[in-house]
Amino acid sequence: MASKHAREQELASLDSVQPGESRASLLQRLSTWRIGLAGLVGIILVALLPTIYDQIFGFSSGFELHNSVTMIAILAIAALAQNVLTGTAAQPSLGNAAFFGVSAYILTWLVSDLNQPFWVGIIVAVLASAALGIIVGGPALRISGAHLAIATLGLVVIAGALLNLWDTTAGRQNYDLSNIPDFLTDDHALYYFVAAILVIVIFLVYHLLRARVGRAWIALRDDETAAEAFGINLTKYKVQAFVISAALTGLAGALWATWATTASSSMSSLDQTIAFLTMIIVGGLGSISGSILGAIFVGFLPILLGQLPSPLALGSVQLQVSTLTTGVYGLLLLLALIFFPSGLSSLGGIGSNLVRRVNKRGGTQ
Amino acid sequence: MLAFLQVVIAGLVTGSLYGLLALGIVLIYRTTGVLNFAYGAIAALCTGFCFILITGPHLNFWLALVLTLLFALVIGVILERGFARPVLHTPVFTKAIATLALALVLETIGLAIWPQLASPQHFLTPFEGKALNLHGLYFSAIDLVILVVTALLMLGLHLFLSRTRQGIAMRAMADNLAATRLMGASVGRIFLVVWALSALVAALCGVLLASQQEMVSLQFMDPVLLLAFVGAVLGGLDSLPGALIGGILIGLADNILGFVLAGHTLGPLNISDPGIRETLIFGGFVLVLLFRPQGLWGRALLRRV
Repeated sequence: MASKHAREQELASLDSVQPGESRASLLQRLSTWRIGLAGLVGIILVALLPTIYDQIFGFSSGFELHNSVTMIAILAIAALAQNVLTGTAAQPSLGNAAFFGVSAYILTWLVSDLNQPFWVGIIVAVLASAALGIIVGGPALRISGAHLAIATLGLVVIAGALLNLWDTTAGRQNYDLSNIPDFLTDDHALYYFVAAILVIVIFLVYHLLRARVGRAWIALRDDETAAEAFGINLTKYKVQAFVISAALTGLAGALWATWATTASSSMSSLDQTIAFLTMIIVGGLGSISGSILGAIFVGFLPILLGQLPSPLALGSVQLQVSTLTTGVYGLLLLLALIFFPSGLSSLGGIGSNLVRRVNKRGGTQ
Repeated sequence: MLAFLQVVIAGLVTGSLYGLLALGIVLIYRTTGVLNFAYGAIAALCTGFCFILITGPHLNFWLALVLTLLFALVIGVILERGFARPVLHTPVFTKAIATLALALVLETIGLAIWPQLASPQHFLTPFEGKALNLHGLYFSAIDLVILVVTALLMLGLHLFLSRTRQGIAMRAMADNLAATRLMGASVGRIFLVVWALSALVAALCGVLLASQQEMVSLQFMDPVLLLAFVGAVLGGLDSLPGALIGGILIGLADNILGFVLAGHTLGPLNISDPGIRETLIFGGFVLVLLFRPQGLWGRALLRRV
């Protein structure tokens, strides 16, 4: 009840803010301009990061920042993919880790075992993920909610078990990715490569969400029945959400295998699913900046906790840091869910709301 | 034939365990809307407590069991107040993720208090090594105990939900929370009862499973939990008998497939691998859901406009 009242008030206040069309459109243009500027600053910052870091800390410091940032950028792609599917199209998929793992294995198989060119490998891996997305998206038309969550979680477990079976059948310990093009074996080059792909993916997703597809997803998220009544083809848009999400997750999986130079069946596991979901929920459902903030949270937290001395003594209790990492991770996730249920990206919203409120007060006086 | 019957019995026993877990999962999901992925961690924590009581102060098994059940009630109450209350008004999906986080936290707490439970430990019970031989059919004591406990628990829960004020209020709440509150039922207290009750079922299930496998560790529930979830969804997620039957079906499928596939290979592929078995079970599960999206015993989901 209270929230409804607040929303009505907010709507009323919005009405009173707009004295004329011009101001509203000016504000709108300003915000578009601001997003563009933020993007540009972001790109420059990302481009200069390794150089700045090397200038400050020197080349041979133990903690390799660009390496970690590469990993975070890959996670961010996966987070964007999960967010398109779960945050925007409201499909509670716990199955994205399956696309992540399968794609990594396909890339490794094509490039290492069949000696195909790396680019062919990446493209086939992404296409195969998209195809898997169609297979999963089909049942999702009939199954929904908690049922879908469990069914997709099953997919992750099956994929993990089968990939592991493939490893044992082939009698190998690690599935290493060899024949990576020379220029990608350099950490810095890989960093720029992944960063460039991330920028392209952000650009794509940003425009996708504002295109017809994105608006259809938002409509079916808010009310499936109403969306259907307005003539939105649920089948088409749900399957599209799954396919796009699967393809992007597959891209992330292939990049991850390139970064780690190995594919492992743990890429399709419950832990990976938790990591994906943590990113979008801590960051903010349906938000692009949220996906990136979430990836930073998930990527950096283990690194930061890894800096602690191990084993850590708390009173008489001796704790292995690896154990502690999991627990702290879970605890922070819980706290984030309880105190910021709409994600870290909403913090920016709170800030701009405050600014707007202060401005308004100044204006009325 | 005898061997097959033996497999069916084994399937019924593991199925009962899945069914019990599914029962606890459905109990919480129906009344509070929490899809509880921390259920395995709760069960493991309680079983670990039981193990420590038996090995540490060398308590009698039965005394340890009683203390464990009390411990489970306390855990349930703590979780309801400390966890379920704060996330009560978040969307269903967020709640489900919160329970995944809760599972990580509970597991870490367990590892911090009992580091020895990081690896499997021998769980000694009075049932170990006792068995009944019926015309060549072999019943181990723990299997019989599991079947009896499952039947009694199901009966008890059914009586509780259909005959007592609390139970009826609980079912009413699952249908309509606001209306139940208006009828004067204390919703907060029912939430407490639900969590305590489901923690109790988790503890029982954990101890039974550990007795059957004769080992316990803090992760020993992980492989079982997912199959229990599948059983719960197969049963429809909103009916208690459905959950039990769903769990039993999964247990039967698991054992029978294991029996049929054992020792077979397909070229270089070893199809008796558990991975193949899981794949077949999940494949069948998804097929069933395609024909009955609401599960075998669930009510069809109505969309209100």
